[in-house]
Amino acid sequence: MSQRDPVRPLSSALAAPITRRRMLQGSAIVGVSAFLAACQAQATPTAEPTPTAPPATPGPTPVATPTAAPTPEPTPQVPTGPLNFANWPAYIDLNEEETESPTLEAFKAKYGVDVNYVEDIQDNESFVATIRPQLQAGLDTGWDLIVLTDWTAAKIVAAGWTEKIDQANVPNCVANLRDELRGLDWDPNQDYHYPWQSGATGVGYNSTKTGRDLTKVADLFDPAFAGKATLLESVQDTFALVGLMMKAQGKLEHDPEEYTLEDAQKIHDEIKPFVESGHVRGFTGNEYLQDFGSGDTWVAIVWSGDLASSGGENDVFVYPEEGSFIWTDNMLIPKGAQHKYTAELYMNFVYDVAIAAELANWIYYISPVKGAGDKILELDPSLADDPYLASLLFPPPEVAAKQHTFVAQTQDEENAFNDLLFDLTGQ
Amino acid sequence: MGRLIKRYRWAIPYVLMAPGIAWLAVFFVVPNVRMLQMSLSEGSVERGFTFTWDVANYTDNVVRFGENFQNSVIFGGLATVFCFLVGYPLAYTIAFRGGRYKNLLLFLVISPFFTSFLIRTISWKIILGDDGPFLEIVRDILHLVPTNFSVLGSAVAVVAGLTYEFLPFMTLPLYVSLEKIDRSLIEAANDLYASRWGAFRRVTLPLSLPGVFAGSLLVFIPAIGDYVNAELLGGPKTQMVGNVIQARFLAQNDYPTAAALAFILMAAILVGILAYARLLGTEQLTGGRA
Repeated sequence: MSQRDPVRPLSSALAAPITRRRMLQGSAIVGVSAFLAACQAQATPTAEPTPTAPPATPGPTPVATPTAAPTPEPTPQVPTGPLNFANWPAYIDLNEEETESPTLEAFKAKYGVDVNYVEDIQDNESFVATIRPQLQAGLDTGWDLIVLTDWTAAKIVAAGWTEKIDQANVPNCVANLRDELRGLDWDPNQDYHYPWQSGATGVGYNSTKTGRDLTKVADLFDPAFAGKATLLESVQDTFALVGLMMKAQGKLEHDPEEYTLEDAQKIHDEIKPFVESGHVRGFTGNEYLQDFGSGDTWVAIVWSGDLASSGGENDVFVYPEEGSFIWTDNMLIPKGAQHKYTAELYMNFVYDVAIAAELANWIYYISPVKGAGDKILELDPSLADDPYLASLLFPPPEVAAKQHTFVAQTQDEENAFNDLLFDLTGQ
Repeated sequence: MGRLIKRYRWAIPYVLMAPGIAWLAVFFVVPNVRMLQMSLSEGSVERGFTFTWDVANYTDNVVRFGENFQNSVIFGGLATVFCFLVGYPLAYTIAFRGGRYKNLLLFLVISPFFTSFLIRTISWKIILGDDGPFLEIVRDILHLVPTNFSVLGSAVAVVAGLTYEFLPFMTLPLYVSLEKIDRSLIEAANDLYASRWGAFRRVTLPLSLPGVFAGSLLVFIPAIGDYVNAELLGGPKTQMVGNVIQARFLAQNDYPTAAALAFILMAAILVGILAYARLLGTEQLTGGRA
């Protein structure tokens, strides 16, 4: 399956009837997770509601989840915890002291469950690598909710490694998801994902260090910033941006949507001398935030909201003139998650317009929730006078016109692209 | 009872060795056989790995990651040399001049171990950073280096990190072998009109060689396989084999390549050690004087 287009197999997998084999696999997973849940319940002395409901309770039977069908016990409609939630850094709202997240606290208070919120995802590839062996073996990954970018989320869903979302538990999501985010090829009915936030990849810089404003991707390679530049260790982000720069300079024909391996090779060849000379100091995941903080990085390829929410005062994001790269990060429930119902409750919770607005207005990413925009302006009227922050939350039309996505890849193409990146990162 | 012991006397060494052998079998032999098998397989986590005697994992990767191997050997070697240059005078001073502070000084040598390895390396990242205290002194106050000079991300930072990290592994064996030296031998050398330097060169240094041997192995072997220093203090050009193995295993789930690289590294270290043992003399090692 992984040989083929990652987008395709999903629809066929969905259409395919549930075979006996899949039923058995599913029940095995449920069996294992129930066993693990039982172990955990015994191990933790706290008086949390145990995930296993008494067999006498009739309860609503979960529909359409092939995994749960063979088990006699219904999914307990009692939130269980803690919700193990893996997310990216700078992706949750914080209070003034930055000690806790108001929306997470509100969720905990509302449902009486604990949330184990961990900023464990620095980049898609390496995070998935930590859970892939468990998913492949049909074991619980330890996470109930994870956030992955489109291309990676599509692969995880296509591989059948996500729990199907019970739409009855997520009425807010059903009602409030923005229309343009619905009906994507890889999960047209939102059976397996709801977007967390959208954002752009562009250029970040510290205006004090650079002494001038940056406007282009090409500015990253200004000799004045030798040794102070970092790129992202993700093919999609880095190659899309450098490719857009090369297209503007007439060195490349295609847009990121249509890159071939040949294009990728050209992009690699463009970056390589800057790595050799030490101009590019490194390839990072989300930890570029620390490097901006320490002053080691002046200019970098970064994601749109991070510097505004978690960077220093003079750390700025700019949508480059050549164009930017747009993506959506998605909430997924990994197969075998212990607290699936709680994860669904959380999805539903963050699709409440007021909560979505509170969240987006702190992290400065683009909310997938209808009406969140108006609510943000209501919460924070000063945004109208702050074109920079407003542009992060509501990309202006001239920016949107130049935004691109990355080419959909087969596994072999992806490996070939990745190998070009690894040659640059020295690994 | 006595008769029983007498009768099975031959078995006693085996019984005593059994726990150690069992340990090695379970935690060394089995994993290594599995890894050897993996290194000759092809496939992915999704497709599964099939054992195909895929020798290309070795031949291709030794070329492809040649630069990383080179980095490992050079950085590991330099770290060993610097550890010796710093560690020998340190151990010598503690052993010969430490007096009643010996134990305190030894404690200070190992005291960094009370902090997490990772925390210490991240601290170096701050110290060596472009706006960190080291460059503030060297660049801004003393003007010894140009303004765009960086330590972080260079080979210098990685070797410095490795040297710092493994210094105690060099110092302690050196201290033990220096401390054991019979002082009357040095006095005898002096009585026979050897200069202080002569006595050191002809008596102290040769007698401390087992310590040098043990110390350099204890530094070189972990240093050559280290990846944390290169990851945190280095840049794209200073990645060591350990970084590739780490990335292939944990970030890409490319187990065959990682396993093959691990075996190549192991083989290289083994060959290196054998050559080194030949050079310094195996009797020094096995003579039990260290």
